[in-house]
Amino acid sequence: MPLPRLPRSRRDLHALLPVDLLVNLTLRDLRSKYKRSALGWTWSILNPVVAVVVYSAVFSVFLRIEPSIGDPSGLHSYAVFLLVALLPWQFHVNSLTEATRAITANAPLVTKIYFPRWVLPTSSVLARFLTLLVEMAVLLVLIAVLQGHVAFQWIPVLMLLMALQLLFTIGLALMISAANVYFRDVQHFLGVALAPWMFLTPILYPLNMVPADREFLGIGYRTLYQLNPMVSWAKAYRNVLYDLRFPSAERWLAIVAATAIVLVVGFRVFNRLEPRMAEEV
Amino acid sequence: MAPPTGTAVHLDGLGKRFRLTHDRNWTLKATMLAGHRTRYEEFWALRDLDLEIPHGSTFGIIGGNGSGKSTLLKVLAGILRPDQGTPTVDGPLSALLELGAGFHPELTGRENVYLNGAILGFTSRDIRQRFDDIVGFAELDRFIDEPVRNYSSGMYVRLGFSVAIHVEPEILLVDEVLAVGDHSFQRRCLDRFAQLKAEGRTIVLVSHDLDMVGWLCERTAWIQNGALQTVGPSPEVIDRFLDGADEPLPGTSASGNTTAGTPTPGMQRRFGGLGDDDLVRAVDLVDPNGHRMDRVGSGHPVRFRVRVDAGRADEPLTVALGLYRSDGTHVASINSGAAGRGLAYGGAPEGDGAGTVEVDYTIDALAVQPGTYELSVALHDASMRKVFERHTHLIRFEVEPSGGDHQNGLVALGGTWSARSVDASATGPRSDGPGSDGS
Repeated sequence: MPLPRLPRSRRDLHALLPVDLLVNLTLRDLRSKYKRSALGWTWSILNPVVAVVVYSAVFSVFLRIEPSIGDPSGLHSYAVFLLVALLPWQFHVNSLTEATRAITANAPLVTKIYFPRWVLPTSSVLARFLTLLVEMAVLLVLIAVLQGHVAFQWIPVLMLLMALQLLFTIGLALMISAANVYFRDVQHFLGVALAPWMFLTPILYPLNMVPADREFLGIGYRTLYQLNPMVSWAKAYRNVLYDLRFPSAERWLAIVAATAIVLVVGFRVFNRLEPRMAEEV
Repeated sequence: MAPPTGTAVHLDGLGKRFRLTHDRNWTLKATMLAGHRTRYEEFWALRDLDLEIPHGSTFGIIGGNGSGKSTLLKVLAGILRPDQGTPTVDGPLSALLELGAGFHPELTGRENVYLNGAILGFTSRDIRQRFDDIVGFAELDRFIDEPVRNYSSGMYVRLGFSVAIHVEPEILLVDEVLAVGDHSFQRRCLDRFAQLKAEGRTIVLVSHDLDMVGWLCERTAWIQNGALQTVGPSPEVIDRFLDGADEPLPGTSASGNTTAGTPTPGMQRRFGGLGDDDLVRAVDLVDPNGHRMDRVGSGHPVRFRVRVDAGRADEPLTVALGLYRSDGTHVASINSGAAGRGLAYGGAPEGDGAGTVEVDYTIDALAVQPGTYELSVALHDASMRKVFERHTHLIRFEVEPSGGDHQNGLVALGGTWSARSVDASATGPRSDGPGSDGS
């Protein structure tokens, strides 16, 4: 790469991981998001609140989906069951939606200044992650107060899970944002794909409602279903915050493997596509 | 900072190719169907470019539109990847390609300074240390906590320039960004460049303003159609560019013996106002009675008065004046040498004010259209071969409309209208005397 050589060690480090740039771009994202709207940050709370009301009405009341009973917590609440998986899912959706356009929307920047381009999609994801942190904290307090369901001792495991999801999402965001520079189809494809993806992830219903005894081309429905990596996240979040137990070893394995693969592939794809970004964007 | 020596930028056979896709809106489907045979034409924006820019030098790059100048800067800045050769850049580099790129309109000036600084490679601590300087230079103290969408375009650009110029890179790439901001800001920008230069930093300047390239840069490269045409001392390269270019660019003089355009090597460069050491002490616009003024009517008499501390000069001086319209159009250049008027010898050097000479250039009728004009002043030796001082755009003044006809263009011809009957049998309106409507 014909990058300017930065001889000093502090600069080298800074070039490798531009922390200040990440922080500033993330802050830009957060600060500007609700500027000039009357409700401001209330909007970010309103979104999950509306979702939980509507989904509870439709799936719990109308369609009578029974949430699994927390084991060992004994909890039986559709709202909590839904929220512990819905919030990470919304982080997933919002991150990808915004990261897709992270490079194309910053074309003036990309064509005029050199800086590591991976910082753009990554900071979009980071901004959404900060929102998720706040939402999760509010959720933990709410269910402790309203349901008497105390999950605080699981916070370290939750943090680990969230950290892994952050890396996983960054990997996906890198791939998608870079591909979108060359094919604007990506952003439209994503819009089409995200809704079915949600219904194929156990967020609105428990995993055990997916039939294990039926087969498609000789492969069980349940097995096929679990090829979706988001199944593992939904399940693991529910284990930690709803059941109050440690996710199984296979879950962890699936999660760590998916994260590692997506992150590595994401960076490689991004690095391959980066050199011509300024002329294609 | 010990100024580094050696080569700052080394290009060896550099080439950059662009793909011209005829159907720009190609989609995934089209690519899948076309397989690997995507339809595009190749266009070499840069080809086989060899260039060496030494550390601590100020280097100009000139050329017509689309010649590849900006592409070259983008390759140097790492924004574009070359398809041929690799540029070797020795030292931290910063590029001023567009001021305020990356400003977010909803954020305040303060937030944008930190953001823009981070994009340019600053740490937040770096910016905190320089924050007051940055805001002071941009003269935005009062507005720094306003969202930048409320800024005027001038304020926007000033803040962008100020952030960029405080990065203090060893190598600074500048692309035509000085054409922004008001007069005094431009001056401060040039001062700042002079300061960076004095600190031993390398500046690479792309500009259409040949005057500026001539004054600022020791060496210049002329690029045409992506290939290096000439490289060498700025005056020579600019001369050859002007000879080769189809039409002279604004701000350059086509004739030979002028003040603007081609300075001699070894001259003193001046940016900004007059300093205590300058031989030129003052320049004024005076009316025929010797009263100072800052505006003059079009077609009215005016006198340019230059006060020179000739006593400190070792030899006879020639005063040269350059008149420019505020858009940079070169209107006229004159010098006292050409007029054969003997001038200002180093008379009695003792005492204050001894040897100070007032040189007037008197114009009976200033034949230019109303507008804003600027006057540049230079001091040469008697042979015009050496330049002692050059003060570009030193004063600015208004030329006001002075009644009469509505005119357009560059000069006020100052003529009168008249009409008379040539044949009694001719049809058509008859009118007599001057002042009648000529249409």
